[in-house]
Amino acid sequence: MNTRPVLEATNLRVAYGGNIALDVPRIAVRERELVGVVGANGAGKSTLVNGLLGWSRGSPKVSGKVMLDGKDMSRLPPHERVKAGLLLIPEGKLVFTQMSVEENLAASVNAPHDGQGRRHYSIDDVYTLFPRLYERRHHLGSQLSGGERQMLGIARALRLGPRALLLDEPSIGLAPRLVSTVLETVRSLVDSGLTVLLVEQNVRAAIEVVDRLVLLERGRIIAEGPASEMRDDPRIAEAYLGAHVA
Amino acid sequence: MNFTQQLVNGIVLGHAYALIAIGWTVLLGVARLVNFGHGQMYMLGAFVTWYGVSRLGLPYFVAIPVAMLVGVAVGYVMQRVMLQLTLKQDLVSIMIVTLGFGYVLHGAAALFFGSTGQILETPFSTKDIYWGDLWFTYQDIAIVIVAILFFAVLKYVIDRTRIGRLARMVAEDPQLAQLAGVNVRRVYLGVFAFEGAAVALAAALVAPRTPILTSMGFDEVIITFVVVVLGGIGSVTGSYVAGLALGLFTAFFGAFVSPAYATAAAFAVLIAVLVVRPGGLAVSPGGR
Repeated sequence: MNTRPVLEATNLRVAYGGNIALDVPRIAVRERELVGVVGANGAGKSTLVNGLLGWSRGSPKVSGKVMLDGKDMSRLPPHERVKAGLLLIPEGKLVFTQMSVEENLAASVNAPHDGQGRRHYSIDDVYTLFPRLYERRHHLGSQLSGGERQMLGIARALRLGPRALLLDEPSIGLAPRLVSTVLETVRSLVDSGLTVLLVEQNVRAAIEVVDRLVLLERGRIIAEGPASEMRDDPRIAEAYLGAHVA
Repeated sequence: MNFTQQLVNGIVLGHAYALIAIGWTVLLGVARLVNFGHGQMYMLGAFVTWYGVSRLGLPYFVAIPVAMLVGVAVGYVMQRVMLQLTLKQDLVSIMIVTLGFGYVLHGAAALFFGSTGQILETPFSTKDIYWGDLWFTYQDIAIVIVAILFFAVLKYVIDRTRIGRLARMVAEDPQLAQLAGVNVRRVYLGVFAFEGAAVALAAALVAPRTPILTSMGFDEVIITFVVVVLGGIGSVTGSYVAGLALGLFTAFFGAFVSPAYATAAAFAVLIAVLVVRPGGLAVSPGGR
């Protein structure tokens, strides 16, 4: 595994009004690494990935430095960061509900193909990855199930040639079987070359697929390490895995 | 009263209404914005065309694109000034700012063009066609043909092209569109520029039917508002149908009852339609 960070943020701070929602001195994701970010509700998980892209449905104040492949993204608006290869699949509304699956996949802008380590998935590629989307290609986004929307959200991001993918709570509202399917798909994408930062509340499912785990509490990183070690961390084991650590 | 003549009048008037309203339809459908300076932009389009033809001696077909370019510039400047309000979707401030722009345009036009009424004569407006008892002009035919072509092309662009898809993405969810790499600010600027061009084209075609004054514009805003709301906010097809329906209604009501109450009656119909169908005649968002 290459140890050079593809995505790195330093002194990332997000504030709503005067309240600091996130204060992270450093977070990095290396090449072909799947990093999971876990924590309770309100810990700042979504704020973290949104802050990395400089995107929000609210109006927070974001400061700090975000680097993608050594290039400073901090001053770029969200759509420019997307073009540079930093993709976010947000929690909640993932797809354009008034457009068909085909249109959702075709609607993305043309991202430059000159970025290193970027694979631009063709329509056929994403239909191979998600055969269900091919079956539903003429359906509107509003007619899809939660799992299908999640697939479409990921597929749309893949069409843009991500260098690093920020994935926010993909398991929300999904049946347990689908949660495994979605997370295993994310794992397979990482194994084939993608770099992913995964925000996930379902720690039990996430810890099975991630390489490293970051634990957030009240907007701050309180623990991080390889998934195999974090599994035994009492803060993870007791709070999220239901284990009693002596 | 000649029924067929009123039918012809209604069809021409309806296409004129639809043409005047199309820019605002797209503006409302894509950017969820209103522009109460729309009527003054129509007035400006009419006067720029008139100035080009009458004062500069430009051919009518050259004066039209000149008026459209001026419309693009006005729309662009207007949106550039209001960009932050647009991104915040601050509708109350936008209403006031566009209303203010309308008054500025009115004052500037009066200063430049004078307050005297003018007649915009075109190669089509002076050529009458008599067909049995029916009377219309080549200008009327031009209005109908251009309106149909414009709507057909616009519908195709919005439904079938990449630009149309980008506009629909922004219409549905501007924040999500950013995540697909769409420059939302540029789309908003483009939509306003389109509105400026579209209303100038409408003015260049429709204004020769009546004397033009720099004080005009209010009626056009009202008619546009009725067409846009009746058609279903943001619906291109709905606007065409609503414009045509309103034109026919106005022509027949004016002929059989009284032209003086046609606008009041149109609003009564609008209220009735909105009570039955709150989304208007068509409800598909995003300019479809």
